[in-house]
Amino acid sequence: MSSLLSIKNLGVNFDTPRGSLEAVRGVDIEIPAGTSVGVVGESGSGKTVMCRAAMGLLQGSNVQRTGTVVFDGNELTAMTKEQVRDLFGSGMAMIFQDPMTALNPVRRIGSQISEGLRVRLGMNKKDAMVRSKELLELVRIPNPTAVLKSFPYQLSGGMRQRVMIAIAIACNPKLLFADEPTTALDVTVQAQILQLLRELREDLKMSMVLVTHDLGVVAGNTDYVAVMYAGEVVEYAPTTKLFADMRMPYTEALLESIPKIDHKSGTRLSVIAGRLPNPTDRGVGCGFAPRCKYAQEKCHTQHPELQKDPDGHLYRCWFPIGKAL
Amino acid sequence: MRKFTKPTWLAIGWLSLMMFFAIFGWALPFKSWNFVYEDDLEVGLFTNGHILGTDSNGYDLFASIVAGTRMSIFIAIAAVGLGGLIGSVLGITAAYVRGKVDTVMVTIFNVGLSVPNLVLALALVSVLATNVDINQAVPTWRRVMVLIMSLTIVLIPILGRIARGATLSWTGREFVTAARSMGMRDSKIITKHIVPNVLPALIAVAFLAVGVVIIVEASLSILGVGIPDGASWGGMIARGRNDLEYAPHVLYVPIAFLALSVISTNHLGDVVRSQLDSREAKV
Amino acid sequence: MLKISFWLKRIAQLLIVLLLVTFGVSLLLRLIPVDLATVLLPVGTENERDILRAELGFDKGPIGYYLQWLGNFVQGDFGKIYFSGGTEDVSAHLADAMPRSLLLMAYTQVIAIAIAVPLGVVSAYRAGRRADKIISNTLFTLSSVPNFAIALLLVIFVGVKFAWLPTLGYVPLSDGVWEHLKHMIMPVISLSLGLIATYTRLLRADMIAALREDYVTMAASKGLSDQRILWRHVLRPSSLTLLTSAALSMGGLIGGAIVIESLFATYGVGFEVFAAIAGRQYVALQSTVAVIALFYVFFNLIVDIGSGFVDPRTRDRRVNA
Repeated sequence: MSSLLSIKNLGVNFDTPRGSLEAVRGVDIEIPAGTSVGVVGESGSGKTVMCRAAMGLLQGSNVQRTGTVVFDGNELTAMTKEQVRDLFGSGMAMIFQDPMTALNPVRRIGSQISEGLRVRLGMNKKDAMVRSKELLELVRIPNPTAVLKSFPYQLSGGMRQRVMIAIAIACNPKLLFADEPTTALDVTVQAQILQLLRELREDLKMSMVLVTHDLGVVAGNTDYVAVMYAGEVVEYAPTTKLFADMRMPYTEALLESIPKIDHKSGTRLSVIAGRLPNPTDRGVGCGFAPRCKYAQEKCHTQHPELQKDPDGHLYRCWFPIGKAL
Repeated sequence: MRKFTKPTWLAIGWLSLMMFFAIFGWALPFKSWNFVYEDDLEVGLFTNGHILGTDSNGYDLFASIVAGTRMSIFIAIAAVGLGGLIGSVLGITAAYVRGKVDTVMVTIFNVGLSVPNLVLALALVSVLATNVDINQAVPTWRRVMVLIMSLTIVLIPILGRIARGATLSWTGREFVTAARSMGMRDSKIITKHIVPNVLPALIAVAFLAVGVVIIVEASLSILGVGIPDGASWGGMIARGRNDLEYAPHVLYVPIAFLALSVISTNHLGDVVRSQLDSREAKV
Repeated sequence: MLKISFWLKRIAQLLIVLLLVTFGVSLLLRLIPVDLATVLLPVGTENERDILRAELGFDKGPIGYYLQWLGNFVQGDFGKIYFSGGTEDVSAHLADAMPRSLLLMAYTQVIAIAIAVPLGVVSAYRAGRRADKIISNTLFTLSSVPNFAIALLLVIFVGVKFAWLPTLGYVPLSDGVWEHLKHMIMPVISLSLGLIATYTRLLRADMIAALREDYVTMAASKGLSDQRILWRHVLRPSSLTLLTSAALSMGGLIGGAIVIESLFATYGVGFEVFAAIAGRQYVALQSTVAVIALFYVFFNLIVDIGSGFVDPRTRDRRVNA
């Protein structure tokens, strides 16, 4: 299966008054066509920066991006801004975490949806509106005609998220980046949105990169999972295998920290003690070592490389779980 | 103090020069500014010992400009100082006491602010500078006093509003409540806590206000209402209008001094403000 | 459009300011240590002055005088200007002066906004880089120079030395569009420089803030070009401060252009104020200042209405206010 999106050795550095901040380091990810890949990590792990860097959406004169990104045969990192923009819409699209800030507050919904259709697909105004209405129906928004005329602040959070999805899929993209699409929503609405995304993926034959801090979200919604920590990919495997047979102590800790419904009330939530390493000074050794309960001396002094199991399971640990060394 | 850029040093330098002229100008070896050099009318720069030339009345421009600097700077500092003092007392009090006092003060400020500066100054000067017998001219020193008073009145709402706004943003903070709860007297709270924090904002605006006053004073003189026959930059411009066609350097000199001074005060006010903003950002 | 009560309250607030300003002016007049009747009618019998006093209400107390003036004002009687040869109606003078000032103001604002918008957009887009720094520094320096200085320099170079444009006077539109415009060019340039600097600065600040918002990234992810995003997505929500400032400066322009109007002899409303003061026509002064204040208030109202259109959020926000 060829890769739809191939990210090789992606690195992102920010120049800040406090020094050079390394947000993403040496990330390799392959997104096969027709799959959904989850990217999991805590806040600050670099997952959002990585996605935006991959798409080329990082703005600012203080940003430095290294590495190669190839989408559908196009080497994005070697193309100009305008050329990359041409691929957006029908090639790649993105939905954002907070629909309230991601939608233009002073434009009506209808105009925001149809703009992509008119600019990218060349539709005229009337056709674009008709298609916008269809898209709203596709994302299961009740009363689409009224919504077309509304402003974002007049809709509920769940509706706004659906609108954002409608905008993103308007031109039938091959790949959808979903950056924490459910974080800002209630749990019940979360489930609806995730289901909607599943169905849209099937109907539109769309691949997806699902970014989240919640392992619970990737279960059942993704084919593969990449776990990121401190700007690096630390584990990568098919989803079922990850849950069944994880290698990284970090992944294990993440899983343990999810409150489970069958825990007795009053059980303490298990947390991962400590904090992410300082992004301006990563230091030597494994980034997770200070917080890892299995850490040994080698972990503190030598930065682990990515290891690959014969079945394709990638992990970055000297002493992975379930494997004797 | 922290690194200043080249423009900032230039501004400081220019203003220092102005202050030097203002304070020590009278000691410079010139004849009085309105001494008439009958042989040297409308001569250009560096002619016959007149560094900046003379105007059609025979006044030496350099002497005029030095005297003018003294007048304009004096008026500006006096007006801003008084206006700032009264304005901040009113503004801080209003913001601290709140309630009806605040509402009344705000309305007064708004009334003052809704009339353009120049119009208000014009109205005040003409009213206050009138003698009972209107046909008698008003002596220069009286005009100067009236001018300062009028400009002060114009500045009070402007500076008062800034003081009030700055105070409002500080009275809400916890350390004020804490001080009150410890039984600190209001006046002490104001002097020890509020004023030091409001002062930087006021200083930034004060620089801008100096520029405004210089311009308004010059405008009034050009219109013939300020000190048109006295020494001041505006007065020089007013007199120089006649020489516009044949001796424009008569105008270049006061315009240059005026413009450079206002540019300098505006720049310094901006510098103070951005220092303030970056300090605030760290809070 | 919205809740009536909101608008009523707003209008009431503005009216109060209006009344206070006009009252303040009339109070100021009463403070002059001169007998106003003598000022207005220096040549004449004492009898004539008494009649004048009664007519103008000088014999009443300050409040009575004010009320009489107010009554006349709202009926359109702005009082008279008194010469040795006779009288003229203030309203006639103002009717003449108003269109001149309004046109000057309109041209100034149009030019200022037309230049400030692209400058603001460019300096926001290239914030921190060379273009931005050049624009900001130049504008800052230029705006610190008082407008009459610019005017005088323009007159010296453009008007006298090169004689491209006439330096004085006003030609009404009816006498020829090009002549009219030729006379307006230099005054408009003098007045607009300061505004351009302010507007550019405001727009730049708002746009820089808006460019950080997520919806800009989202728009880019839709495949829209930077230019399209700047002009059609970011400009509108960022223009509120600029428009507010524009409307507010209207009031300042009308009266504050006094020096420019007298330098270029365009005899607008600002000049009328000055003439009234210089000529001791205090009655005319009162009415003229009142008219200026009226305009200022009117434009404040326009700001409120306008901000509802530019940013629809403020519409509903005000309902809750």
